[in-house]
Amino acid sequence: MPTVKIFIKKQCPRCPQAKQLGAEIEQDGGSVVCYDVETAEGLAEATFFGVQATPTIIVEDDGENILAEFRGQVPSREELLKLISS
Amino acid sequence: MALLDTNDSVAKPLILKAEKTFFQKLKLILDNPTFGILYIASTQHTDKSSSIGVAYMGSVIDLQARQKPDQKINETTDLALNVRTSSEDMTGWNRQKIVDALMRETGLDRQTSEEVSLEVEAVIKRADIKCITAPLIREIVDSKLIERGLEDARKKHTRLGVPIYDVDQLILHPNKENANVPHGPEATNLTLAEGIKKEYALLRVFSPEIGDAHMRGDIHLHDLGFIDRPYCSGQSLEYIKRFGLSLPNSLSIAKPAKQPEVLLAHMVKFAAALQSHFAGAIGWDAVNLFFAPYLEGRTDREVRQLAQMMVYEFSQQAVARGGQAIFTDINLYWEVPKHFENVPAIGPGGVFTGRTYGDYEKEAQRFVWFLFDVYREGDGTGRPFFFPKPLVHITEKFFRTEGHQEFLEHICDIASEKGTTYFVFDRGDTAKISECCRLSFKLNDSDLNDAKEPWKMRFCALQNVTVNLPRLAYKNMGDEQSMFNSLTSMIELAVKAHLEKKRFIESLLALGETGPLALLTMKTDGQPYIRMHRASYLIGMVGLNEMVKAFTGEELNESSRALKFGLKVISHMNLECQRLSEKNNMHFVLEQTPAESTSYRFARLDLRDFGEIARQYVRGTIDNGEIYYTNSTCLPVSSRENPIERVKSEGLFHPIIEAGSITHIWLGESKPSKQSLANFVVKVFRETLNDQIAFSPEFTNCLQCGRTVRGLLDACPYCGGQQTDGITRVTSHGTHVSSWNKGKLAELKERDKSRGFFAHTQTGSA
Repeated sequence: MPTVKIFIKKQCPRCPQAKQLGAEIEQDGGSVVCYDVETAEGLAEATFFGVQATPTIIVEDDGENILAEFRGQVPSREELLKLISS
Repeated sequence: MALLDTNDSVAKPLILKAEKTFFQKLKLILDNPTFGILYIASTQHTDKSSSIGVAYMGSVIDLQARQKPDQKINETTDLALNVRTSSEDMTGWNRQKIVDALMRETGLDRQTSEEVSLEVEAVIKRADIKCITAPLIREIVDSKLIERGLEDARKKHTRLGVPIYDVDQLILHPNKENANVPHGPEATNLTLAEGIKKEYALLRVFSPEIGDAHMRGDIHLHDLGFIDRPYCSGQSLEYIKRFGLSLPNSLSIAKPAKQPEVLLAHMVKFAAALQSHFAGAIGWDAVNLFFAPYLEGRTDREVRQLAQMMVYEFSQQAVARGGQAIFTDINLYWEVPKHFENVPAIGPGGVFTGRTYGDYEKEAQRFVWFLFDVYREGDGTGRPFFFPKPLVHITEKFFRTEGHQEFLEHICDIASEKGTTYFVFDRGDTAKISECCRLSFKLNDSDLNDAKEPWKMRFCALQNVTVNLPRLAYKNMGDEQSMFNSLTSMIELAVKAHLEKKRFIESLLALGETGPLALLTMKTDGQPYIRMHRASYLIGMVGLNEMVKAFTGEELNESSRALKFGLKVISHMNLECQRLSEKNNMHFVLEQTPAESTSYRFARLDLRDFGEIARQYVRGTIDNGEIYYTNSTCLPVSSRENPIERVKSEGLFHPIIEAGSITHIWLGESKPSKQSLANFVVKVFRETLNDQIAFSPEFTNCLQCGRTVRGLLDACPYCGGQQTDGITRVTSHGTHVSSWNKGKLAELKERDKSRGFFAHTQTGSA
């Protein structure tokens, strides 16, 4: 099952929206991991994916292949659900 | 010792036979247990002849003791002395000088100082010797201070010096700590001075906590021998174009240059002056662009000649520390960088030309093209030039500028042929100035504001402190939280070291034009040349790969799990730098340490202190001592992956190492086509986050016939001569392999040479 990785930080106006989306996807049974890029773990993961803007949302399959990415933007709930269920 | 009656040594002086040497006599005295240390220190470096034994000491006291039986203990002994001091004059014995020195240098009270001096005098009398050195008297004083438990006073009274055995070795053999330093008298001076200043730094500038951490190998304080200088710097030609060459204490002052040749002369002289005030590299920004206003109306032949002069002047100036060439980086652009486009240009005589730098693109391009023509030719025997290092910035605008493809292939041709070109990638809106080795700074808003008056664009890093990462793994095997806590402590320690060095440098700068750093305090444009409020403080790392292997069982290139663990370590360091920058209102940034000697030093110390564990992770050959750790955050040099994958993986670290990074692509004897390398460079710019790359071919220089050929060979293919020397990149710059230390030699043997990856035909692609 694909994993949704959400990269956020404190001083970021659109990050709460991305975080909220993550919570909704999780409620719908999706696998979501939220990374705070101001922690070592979060920054490391963000660096691994070359994340240079927040919020960034990356959808990854079990084989660590990127299925979709939204850098500096937040997709709609429907769009994301479609991606993880396809 | 049977000959010494310690209970009554004054009444019954030692029986020292006349034929005994000075040191034999001294040994008899010092065999008294309290003098054991001193004896060892003295005899370790002495010749059989006492005259040789004292000759190295710089100052000598010829002593003929005539003891008066009834002399009172509180009187100075009437000794007939000829004292040769280090200031090359002759004085007589005067015990009071010991008293004065103790009171002046250590703050001891008169009574204690008198007592110590009397004890020392008694020791000297008992020796019944013909001559003694002033430094040895000082050591005897120090031993008395130890006996009395006056450790703080002893430290303050310490004499810094070098054993004669070491001086012999230094004069006879090359110092391999820095492969850029040639072997010669000037290099010996450098090493001797460095030795003293290193000791001074560890005793006087840094606290015992920092000094001990350095000595143990937990951290490495770079350039301790240059403790009274900042680390490295970057400057703008506009400073000397506008103000001419007016240096503190110089005998003459030059007005702004009117001819390009004179501007070059000013640049070289200013670089030499700066090199004597900074420990590391001297970088210059946008050199071809800032020369451009001087080149209008000049023929191609004249401009090419100027380019040749520039390369030879910087590569042959064996005037910097220890007789090495000035460590020079020149930053070059094909396009006019966006932040200089609308800046008023300064022309001959320091006068504004009435145009902006955007109008000088063609002249700047002509100059940079010719510079690379010169690099392609190589020196008089075809060898590559090591300096000045040309750093070409690749930007989005580069690809929009006419002629960029031809220029890219031109510089790739030189990269393949000689390995000279450095490719610096400024993506998006970033602009960088690369100053030193791997050090570069991204220009922030304030810098871009300075760009309107480019002579203000002067940057420096004050110091570099490197953390030994594998050691943290050895100390915390299996306990990740504990390891990260230790890493935090090491970074805090590095910050403390920076604060101590900053305090010391500021005390020197406070002396202004009469101080040792007068050059850096000159206020030609209204503010000090060195802008301390803009200084950076570097924190480096060595051996991330070995640390990750010790913790995860895999090297950085072996799994994404290992790579992510490595990223977590560097992310933690990055965040700690940010936290401590805010706390101290200073700019701490991570840098990829070049670690020419540090990776070797850390490996040696870890092998000594963490034997069995370290043996599993230290690289190289332990049996012959050729060992090392992988530099900074690099993948192991032996990994045989596709170079673009190496560039991608190593490039993941670069955004969080803000002061600069580089990936080396080792070419060995192969010689890729220029198109192949050009395609590779474009791919790196477009598809990776890598900050900087350089291609490193290998050469053999025949010491018999003088020819230079591709590859590292044992014998010359032309004359069959066996006396050869290799040439390739040691860390950030090319050098002769014969000057490398054992660690770097071990690394060289393991480097993967990207065989079979690059096309070797003119139509091939990467």
